[in-house]
Amino acid sequence: MLNRTTTALLALLAGAGRIIAPLTVQHVVDSGFAPRTVGPAVAVGAGAVVVAGTASMLLNRRLQDQVETALARLRRDGLRRAHDMAASRFDRTPSADLVARLTSDVDQVTTFLQGGGIQFVTNAAQLLIATVIMCVYSWQLGLPVLVLAALTLVAMLVLQRVIARRFGVARRDLSRMQSAVTESVLGAPVIRSTGTGERARAKLDTAVDRARDSLLRTLPPLHANASLGEVAISTMTVAVLLGGAYGIGGLSAGQVVAMVFLVTFFVRPLQFLVQSLGEAQNALTGWRRAHELATTPSAVRPDDLELPPGPVEVCADRVSARYGDGPLVLHDVSVRIEPGEHVAIVGPTGSGKSTFAKLLTRRLEPSAGVITLSGIPLDRLTTAGRVVIVPQDPFLFDGTISHNVRLGAPDGDVERVFDDLGLRGWLATLPDGLDTRVGLRGERLSAGERQLVALARTALADPDLVVLDEATSGIDPATDMVVQRALAVLTKGRTTISIAHRLNAAAAADRVLVFDNGRIVQSGEHPDLVNAPGPYAGLVSAWRQQ
Amino acid sequence: MLPDHPIAAQFAAARAHPGPALLATATGLLNGATMVAGAAAVGWATDHLVVPDQREASAWWISALLILGISAVRWSTIFVRGVATGQVQYRAQAETRRAVVRQFLALDEGWHRHRSPGRLLAHAVSDVDALWSPMQFAYFAFGMAFMLVLALVELFRRDAALGLIGLGLVVLVLGLNTVYQRLLAPRARAVQAARGAVGTVAHESVEGGPVVRSLGLAGVEEARFGAGVERLRAADLRMARVSSVFDPLLELLPTAAVLVVLVVGAPRVQHGALTPGDLVGVVYLLITIAIPLNVISRFLSMLPMSGAGLERVQEVLRSREIRRSGSRRLAGDGPLRVELRDANVTRDGRRILDGATLTLEPGTVTVVVGAVGSGKTTLLDLAAGLAPSAGVVTFDGTDVRDLAGDEVPSSVAVVTQGPFLFTESIRENLSLGSPYGETDLWNALRVAAVDDVVRDLPDGLDTVVGERGATLSGGQRQRVCLARAVLRRPRLLVLDDATSALDAQIERQVLQGIAGVEATVLVTTNRPAAVEIADRVVLLDAGRIAAVGTHEELLGRAEYARLVNAYAVAE
Repeated sequence: MLNRTTTALLALLAGAGRIIAPLTVQHVVDSGFAPRTVGPAVAVGAGAVVVAGTASMLLNRRLQDQVETALARLRRDGLRRAHDMAASRFDRTPSADLVARLTSDVDQVTTFLQGGGIQFVTNAAQLLIATVIMCVYSWQLGLPVLVLAALTLVAMLVLQRVIARRFGVARRDLSRMQSAVTESVLGAPVIRSTGTGERARAKLDTAVDRARDSLLRTLPPLHANASLGEVAISTMTVAVLLGGAYGIGGLSAGQVVAMVFLVTFFVRPLQFLVQSLGEAQNALTGWRRAHELATTPSAVRPDDLELPPGPVEVCADRVSARYGDGPLVLHDVSVRIEPGEHVAIVGPTGSGKSTFAKLLTRRLEPSAGVITLSGIPLDRLTTAGRVVIVPQDPFLFDGTISHNVRLGAPDGDVERVFDDLGLRGWLATLPDGLDTRVGLRGERLSAGERQLVALARTALADPDLVVLDEATSGIDPATDMVVQRALAVLTKGRTTISIAHRLNAAAAADRVLVFDNGRIVQSGEHPDLVNAPGPYAGLVSAWRQQ
Repeated sequence: MLPDHPIAAQFAAARAHPGPALLATATGLLNGATMVAGAAAVGWATDHLVVPDQREASAWWISALLILGISAVRWSTIFVRGVATGQVQYRAQAETRRAVVRQFLALDEGWHRHRSPGRLLAHAVSDVDALWSPMQFAYFAFGMAFMLVLALVELFRRDAALGLIGLGLVVLVLGLNTVYQRLLAPRARAVQAARGAVGTVAHESVEGGPVVRSLGLAGVEEARFGAGVERLRAADLRMARVSSVFDPLLELLPTAAVLVVLVVGAPRVQHGALTPGDLVGVVYLLITIAIPLNVISRFLSMLPMSGAGLERVQEVLRSREIRRSGSRRLAGDGPLRVELRDANVTRDGRRILDGATLTLEPGTVTVVVGAVGSGKTTLLDLAAGLAPSAGVVTFDGTDVRDLAGDEVPSSVAVVTQGPFLFTESIRENLSLGSPYGETDLWNALRVAAVDDVVRDLPDGLDTVVGERGATLSGGQRQRVCLARAVLRRPRLLVLDDATSALDAQIERQVLQGIAGVEATVLVTTNRPAAVEIADRVVLLDAGRIAAVGTHEELLGRAEYARLVNAYAVAE
């Protein structure tokens, strides 16, 4: 409260400094330009200018400090929320959109602030002061000015709605353009190898041109609004001049002149406010988008329960799932996985294996049924660090191998993990061993090498439930065997679910679940299933033939 | 080509769009003139309407007409100038953006490898925006500069002392602005750099979202991002500190000048050397001078940011890391003969492939096996036409470096480890704009064993896949990418672990289909199944070709047997 009062006070002082000019002119004119009055009047004016300058500087610093602090907070909260929001929501949101909300949207506010946003505040103060002084001089002359101002404002607001609508379209087209650019950057290898650069260029051109055309359509209403202020100034000036000269309000010559100046000091801020509205609108939209992210419901709740220590029991009770409005891809799946059990999930492509993994990590919410971990429904749990999924294409951060492995356990012994996994030989092939930099997204490593790093990372993080989703698909058979054996040792005592096409993983598991068409069709130990009639026997024989 | 200075760039844009640029210039100048004329009109009205006790009847309507007439010119020029300026700005912006993204497509994989997608997006979007942002004030500012000249002439015409005050004001303001810009420029560059750094972390953190979530790293990421955000805040504030001193100074100088004019002018009015209207007109002019000075300084204040944007855009546009190509054509249209002679690849100081010598005979299927990190992908890249760091790669005897740019893509199809689909229909993803017949499309899908999947989709071939194919499973995406490659009837087909997400049965089906394609085929896979279709097998070890031969021949080598039979032994 005190804060806002101080800001308002500073703004009023800063605004008053500029208005001192017409008041001084009035004194000088009405005194008949006598040097005796000119000296003191100018001295007072000079004092006011110094005060206003100081107030303006202080106001600038204050607002910049406050806004930049708020923006920094917005960014931090935004990223936090991106990581805390429901995984299913995160999956659905294009990453470019999230990044924009953390970067360019917020930058827009700074750009506005530095490009005249602070003058927004002083101009508002000036508008207020000018109104009060005009009405003190003569309410009879002040009234038509205010009426004209009201009419102008109504017209401006109508136009403003048109502007807002067109800017909305422009924003949408700009964000589509950004998606198109991102897609062509990420898809560059495909475009290059298929020689379809011409088509990619055409698509980009269309997106760029559409954004340009939408921006062009915002111009007429935007500038019609700006010229409206000028129409207002001239009509008001004429009204005040003629009315004042006619004797309405009984003003002196100096007062009429001062009123004419005040009209300028009244409409200019109004005009400035209107001219900056476009930028203000951009800034506001940017702010809103960033704020929207920062206030997205968090999936992390204070009353979330911790998993009880020790191996995790996984229980799915009549679980069904679908993507969006699509058909069900999992039907009524019920399964219980004992604490410490190692379960392999197999089945043909598209049988629902990966969907099941997505449910366990909440990247997809079941459309029916409940999944519990150690008896607690998944949506009431905080699982970070305790339930780890290793996907087929794991993400690495731009840093060293050691940095990436240590993420989940900052004090862990990285070398030992690689030793335990039997990967010392692979490390030796790298130029700098553990200190080898992996590049952006780990691009300096091959897909299989990235998987090895992710496995080491998981082993070091020491989770209680491990989900391996095709986690070794890019690794050669010999290394795979070594890693699988090591994983079996490392995951002993932890609940492990491995989804794999390679049936060697299934043979090593305590139990095999066979998925087909979104249902569990077989469940049992490998030796039993191999000899039983059913799809597993078929899968194994296809596997053995290779 | 863009010039190197932001102001020169704005001129270049004007030359490229002479129509709107001329219109904006003309209306800008006219608009500037109306400001001086407007002040004179108020002065006239003061002398003829406000001050005298006896007024002529004509004074009433002349005053009204003068003020309203000049104003009409002013508001119409405001509108036209604004729209015309926007035309130049947005058109120039779109052209630069096109050039930048086209350059992205032209630059080679080495260039892309060292730049994050987030950074490239920033070049194409915010840097281009920053480059052209001063344009919105350019013609306005130009008109206002003209107005300043007119105003000074007007002042000197009335009184030399008043003229000197006006001149002093203008010189002072422009001098202050110069100092202001000097101080601002390095700070603006620091802000741009800090923004870039924040963008890179934001992008990486969001892309790595699943890892962050699963390992509970949200706090770590918050701290990492927070440090960058803090640096950006500090950079923004360092810039703001400068403007918080200069902005008020520049804003209040006209008012100070009005006070000086009153001190100097009042005695002259008393002696009759000036009329009250003269003085009022001058004050009006000085007060309105605040606008031009403001606009000019806003224009100038955007130049540093614009310059920083321009530098970064130029860095992209001037990059010459474009895949070099010659002009030679390949004769014939059957399967290609590919030869590698003593080819090396060194990347970031790491020798990835060492002295690779290998011939792929036309129409044969070659399978590359090797441990993780043995250089399989790099060997495939070379065979697919990437120029080696040293040594030679030839297609049908022609060095690939001498081939015309479109020759390699039109004869080679590559399917990489990460299947990439565009946010478009399956049909578009397959044909990529070329007119393939329905039969061709379905045949390709059949070879990739994905025809049934596509048939079952709600809109069949016309089903739009989500962002990067998100609505398909990994295995389905891989197979659509395979179909895309087969569809092009390549003379050389290169599959880099392109069946990793398929189950054994489907993989076998796909590999059999691939073996039937009339092309030279080069495959790497981490699953032994592929050697079944191999005419020849290449064994890679730590970046060197350790052995070449048939499956049976190689079985005698321990490291090969260990790789291929790993699972069988375990069974």
